[in-house]
Amino acid sequence: MQIEWSSEWKEGFMERLEDRKAWDSWMLYNMCYDVEKSKLITDFHGLQSPKYLPELTPFPHQLEAAETVIERMNGKAILADEVGLGKTIQAGLILKEYLIRGLVKKALILVPASLINQWVEELNQKFHIPTIQYKKAYDLNYCNIVIASMDMAKRSPHKENIYAQDFDLIIIDEAHKLKNPKTKNYEFVQNLKKKFCLLLTATPIQNDVFELFNLISLLKPGHLGNFETFQSVFSASKHNVEEDEFLKELINQVMVRNSRHDTGIEWTNRRVKTIPLEFSEKEKEVYDMISELKHVSPVFSGAFSMITLQKEICSSKHAAFLTLNEMRQKCTRPEEISFTDEIIQKLAELDVNTKAEKAYEIIQQANGEKVIIFTEYRASQAYLQNFLYEKGIVSVPFNGQFSKSKREWMKQLFKEKAQVLIATESGSEGINLQFCHHVINYDLPWNPMKLEQRIGRVHRLGQEHDVNIYNLAIKHTIEDHILELLNVKIGVFEKVVGELDDILSEYKLSI
Amino acid sequence: MYPQQIHQYIRRFFKENNCEIIRENDHFINVQLTVEMDKRIMNRPFYWKYLESTGDEPNPAQLTLITDKNRLQEAIAGEVVHYGSPRLNQLFQVTKELGSFVQMYERATTQSGTQTILTPWVGVNYKITYSSDRTQETLYSLGINLMTGAIINGFQESISGLNLESSISPNTFHLPYTIKPLRALERLDAVIENQIQHDDHTWAEEAKERLRKDLLVLEYFYRGIEDEDRPECYESEKKAMEEQYETRIKVEIINGGLFYLKSI
Repeated sequence: MQIEWSSEWKEGFMERLEDRKAWDSWMLYNMCYDVEKSKLITDFHGLQSPKYLPELTPFPHQLEAAETVIERMNGKAILADEVGLGKTIQAGLILKEYLIRGLVKKALILVPASLINQWVEELNQKFHIPTIQYKKAYDLNYCNIVIASMDMAKRSPHKENIYAQDFDLIIIDEAHKLKNPKTKNYEFVQNLKKKFCLLLTATPIQNDVFELFNLISLLKPGHLGNFETFQSVFSASKHNVEEDEFLKELINQVMVRNSRHDTGIEWTNRRVKTIPLEFSEKEKEVYDMISELKHVSPVFSGAFSMITLQKEICSSKHAAFLTLNEMRQKCTRPEEISFTDEIIQKLAELDVNTKAEKAYEIIQQANGEKVIIFTEYRASQAYLQNFLYEKGIVSVPFNGQFSKSKREWMKQLFKEKAQVLIATESGSEGINLQFCHHVINYDLPWNPMKLEQRIGRVHRLGQEHDVNIYNLAIKHTIEDHILELLNVKIGVFEKVVGELDDILSEYKLSI
Repeated sequence: MYPQQIHQYIRRFFKENNCEIIRENDHFINVQLTVEMDKRIMNRPFYWKYLESTGDEPNPAQLTLITDKNRLQEAIAGEVVHYGSPRLNQLFQVTKELGSFVQMYERATTQSGTQTILTPWVGVNYKITYSSDRTQETLYSLGINLMTGAIINGFQESISGLNLESSISPNTFHLPYTIKPLRALERLDAVIENQIQHDDHTWAEEAKERLRKDLLVLEYFYRGIEDEDRPECYESEKKAMEEQYETRIKVEIINGGLFYLKSI
């Protein structure tokens, strides 16, 4: 092996010998030697970074994860801890370690736009890693540790600028957004040179095991075989994972996952209640009429639009009204129009919302404690805010589209002034609300990981109370089906990835 | 390094660089920087450029560093420094820049009237770095007698207890060297090279094995696809792996110098 000698010192020494420059101070000479000695990395193994971060006290599972990634996975890994266990800290420790060891000079961190500031702050303040956000005018040649939003990075000319750089480490947060190989995101990351690479996601499987295949193939192509071999072994049925142990073993070679119970930290309990509700007579009538629509008009015969409407009416008449009204414009035959109009008429006349009443009841029982309501629909969000206001309960809305300052403002209002926060799905990433411990899932998403993300907003490090989760579902409607499917998906996840904390509770089916 | 050690370090650093300590206790220090130190560590080249062009009175900054904020009783506004903090790293860097080359004479302690003869040495502190996807470093402090060519290991430790000064004591003389310092440096380099050759290099073998395995996995992914039909990301993936596991040996000199000694 070639030895790389640095000749810099020799030149300086010559200059002094020839009296061209002055000699240095003996005191500084000794201090310099002592510093080098204290900084010396005497072992290939172990972590240096904690020594440099006396202000940070990582949890044992975070240190262990960093060590595992560097030593067992050679710096290419999926960090898949449950929500709220501090994946950012793990990534920071790993990045810091590589910087200290001189193995990484340039790093690129790709995150959703809404999380950029949080990352910049954490890396700068907690890890003393000078990090900057990538802006249009920046010359990447002069930026060592750069954070960019995935949406910006994948577009020209940024894409080309990034490809032209020689990054040693790529970190991607919320990496489950890369589950689909046909997307621009996936293609962009696939073509990126990944010497060391960390993919962060609490939810490596959202729907099926192929998502994990895609993620791992991005990180380490071939680790799970190629698509054909993987498919032939694992696709007997999309939801039926055979050869679990074998697959699990392979996955464990590239993925670190801690559940709350693995961490050795005392966690507060999760009390999950799935509350089945009965529609009122009138609500039932409207729901049935809507379900009937597909036989009346071809406009409503598509499975997707029917399911959307059914879900919406389970949420609020306001949510359903928007869609219904839109589709009514497409109806042509008089009997279609009159039937639709009749539904709209009945919809307008509905005066009781069973779910909203239940939510109100739960809020009352919370005795003034903070409550978060998650809904899938903006219309339901507005309706609930108004509904609660009339009952004398102050609430604040929360959407993913809010700017950073507005998010902070709403969070502050919730903490100090309002009892209830009503969030839409997109609001469930990147806000931390440990001061609250009641979560109402007013509507259920199709994807259990979204539920986990929602719960993770409050059930995370720093939560001091048991967390109460209320899943509202209307019996004999589409929501029965959603619950069932959620259970199946949780089953797949647990077989392949590992235990999940309770999301659905007593409803658990055997799979 | 503990807070006290850091405090001592910072204190010595500024004193050695002629920066006046204005106020301090065990947990903080407030110093007046010299113009030279301001230019080195305050990162404001435009200010100094501006001053040069206008000819105004230079006004170097004061710096307050808090070395142990947990024990600090008073309310002091300042930068908190600890091991790993950017400011301390910067001071380490400056120390290195200003502490790389010395010429030292051992102080003669004999009675007046007698002459002391000093022997010239070259001492060099080396750092060897082995790296692949992991790293390991070793320090070697070597010294070579410029009269006899004798080489000793642990040179820094041997001289650290001696009374050394930057100028020669009265009534003291040193022998002219028979081995030129640059030639001596080459001999020390050869010792290092020899040391490297005799080291255990299992680490390199292991890194190559990791690369081999990873390449196999990659090949498997593209099995059945002809080379010319493989996508670009196949090549970039392969290149990334080669870089990831590339084994390297680097030798760097931390500092060193000419020493005139009588005790060794």
